[in-house]
Amino acid sequence: MNDASTVALSAQLAALHQTEVIANNLANLSTTGFKGQHLLFAQYLSQAGDGTPLAYVQELGTARDTSQGPITQTSNPLDVAIQGDGFFTVQTPLGPRYTRNGHFQLDADRQIVTSQGYPVLTDNGSPLVVPDGAGQITIGADGSVATTRQGGVGTIAVATFAKPQAMLPTAGGLYTTDQVPQAATGTRLVQGSFEGSNVEPIIEITRLIAAERNVDYTKTFINAQASQTSNALDRLGKSV
Amino acid sequence: MRALNIAATGMLAQQLNVEVISNNIANLNTTGFKRQRAEFQDLLYQDQRPVGANSSDNGTLVPVGVQVGSGVKAAAIYRITEQGTLLDTNNPLDIAIQGRGYFQVQMPDGTTAYTRAGSLQLSATGEIVTADGFIVDPGITLPNNTVAVTVNPSGQVLAQIAGQTTPQTVGQFQLAAFPNEGGLEQLGGNLLRETPASGAPTTGNPGSTGYGTLQQGFVETSNVNVVSEITNLITAQRAYEMNSKVISTVDQMSATLAQMQ
Repeated sequence: MNDASTVALSAQLAALHQTEVIANNLANLSTTGFKGQHLLFAQYLSQAGDGTPLAYVQELGTARDTSQGPITQTSNPLDVAIQGDGFFTVQTPLGPRYTRNGHFQLDADRQIVTSQGYPVLTDNGSPLVVPDGAGQITIGADGSVATTRQGGVGTIAVATFAKPQAMLPTAGGLYTTDQVPQAATGTRLVQGSFEGSNVEPIIEITRLIAAERNVDYTKTFINAQASQTSNALDRLGKSV
Repeated sequence: MRALNIAATGMLAQQLNVEVISNNIANLNTTGFKRQRAEFQDLLYQDQRPVGANSSDNGTLVPVGVQVGSGVKAAAIYRITEQGTLLDTNNPLDIAIQGRGYFQVQMPDGTTAYTRAGSLQLSATGEIVTADGFIVDPGITLPNNTVAVTVNPSGQVLAQIAGQTTPQTVGQFQLAAFPNEGGLEQLGGNLLRETPASGAPTTGNPGSTGYGTLQQGFVETSNVNVVSEITNLITAQRAYEMNSKVISTVDQMSATLAQMQ
C-alpha cells in the first residue's frame, strides 16, 4: 500500500467510527438525561520516506454535549429534572455515581431511589427516607424534599465538577469521576418533570450523511489510486 | 459495523415505547387505569482511548478519551399514579378512591390483590364484589331487604332496610397503602399484586392519616392524557425512523466499501 491509500484509509476508519457514535446518539433519543457525544478528530502529521508531510486522521476524543435537554412534564411527584449544571449523587455498590436522570421512586424501605434501586443522596451524603403516612412529597427548586404531614426530610444534593468532560459515562446514565464534587449554584430542580435526551436528530442525520459521503469519496480516491498504480505497472511492463 | 447493532437497539426501544403508548391509549376508558411510561438507559461504553492515559513520555495526560456507547435498553416501565378524574355515575356501588390507597380483593386462590377500580357489584348472596365477582375485603354483605346503601367518605357502609327508619351499619371498607406503589405487579383486569419491591401494605380506614377518602356514586377514570400520548407516539415514530435511517446508511457504506478495488 502506498502512502496516499493509508491516509485515505485513516479517513475511512474515522468516518466508520463516527457512524457508531451517531448511531448511539440516535438510539438514545428517548433516554432520560442522555447527553449526546461527538467524536473529535485531529491531524496526525507524519513524514513519508522522501520527507513529504502526510496528514492522517486521528481520533482525539469524544466530547459530550452538555447542553440542557428538553424538560417534559410527567406529573409524577418523584420525577425531578435538573435545570442548569449539575448531577444527582447516587450510592451504588461501587461507590458514588452521578446522573442527570431524575426518575426516582420509593423502594420498599421508603428510600428515594433511582430506577436501578440506588439510593439518591442528600447534601450531607445520607439517603432520603420518606416516613410512612407523610402525605404528599414536594421537592423545591433548591432540592429540599418536604412532605405535607411530616415536614422536611432532607435536601437532594446537586453536585458540579470542575471538569465535566472528564467524567466517564458508565451504563445506565451514570457517570463516574475522581474529581471532588462541589455544591451547584444557580441550578434549579423541577418536580414532576424529566430532562429528555439533548440529541438533535437533524444534526445527527446530517452528520450521518456527511460520514457516508466521506466513505464514498475516499472509496473513489482509493479506486483512482489503485487504477493509477495498475496503469503505471502496465506501462512500465510494456516499455521493458 | 457496530453501528448496525446500536441502531437496532434503538429501534427495539422505540418499538417498546410505541407498545406502552398504545396500551395507554387502549385503556383510555378503563376505570382506575394508571398511565405508564417507558424509561430508557444507555448501555455500556467501550473505551477506545482511555481518558487520563499518558499521551507523551513526560507525563501529559489525555484530557478526553474516545468512548463509544453501545446503544440503549429499556430500564423500566413505570406507572404514573396521578389521581384520575372522578366521573359522576349515580350508581350507589360505584366507589372512587380520592387520594392514596387501594381496595383489597380476595382472589379465588386465597391471595389478596389490590385495585383502584371501584365499580363494585352485588353477588347472588348480597356480598359486595368487583366486576369480576371477587369479594372486596373485609367482605360486606347487604341484608336481603335493603332498599338503599350509603357509603360515607370514611368507608362505612350503611344499609337502609325496608320498614326501618335508621340505616344500619353493615361494614367498613379498608384501604391498603404501599411504600412503593410503582413496585406493584400488574395482573390485568385492573388488579395489582404485592411484590418485594412494593413493600408490605399497611391498611387503614379511608380518611385516616395517609389514606384517601371514598366517593360514592363516582368512578375514577383513567389518568391517560390523549394529547400527550399522541405527541409521544409521533416522537417515537420519528425516532424509529431515524434509527432505521442509520441502518440503511451504514448498509450503504458497507456496499461502498465492498466496491473498493
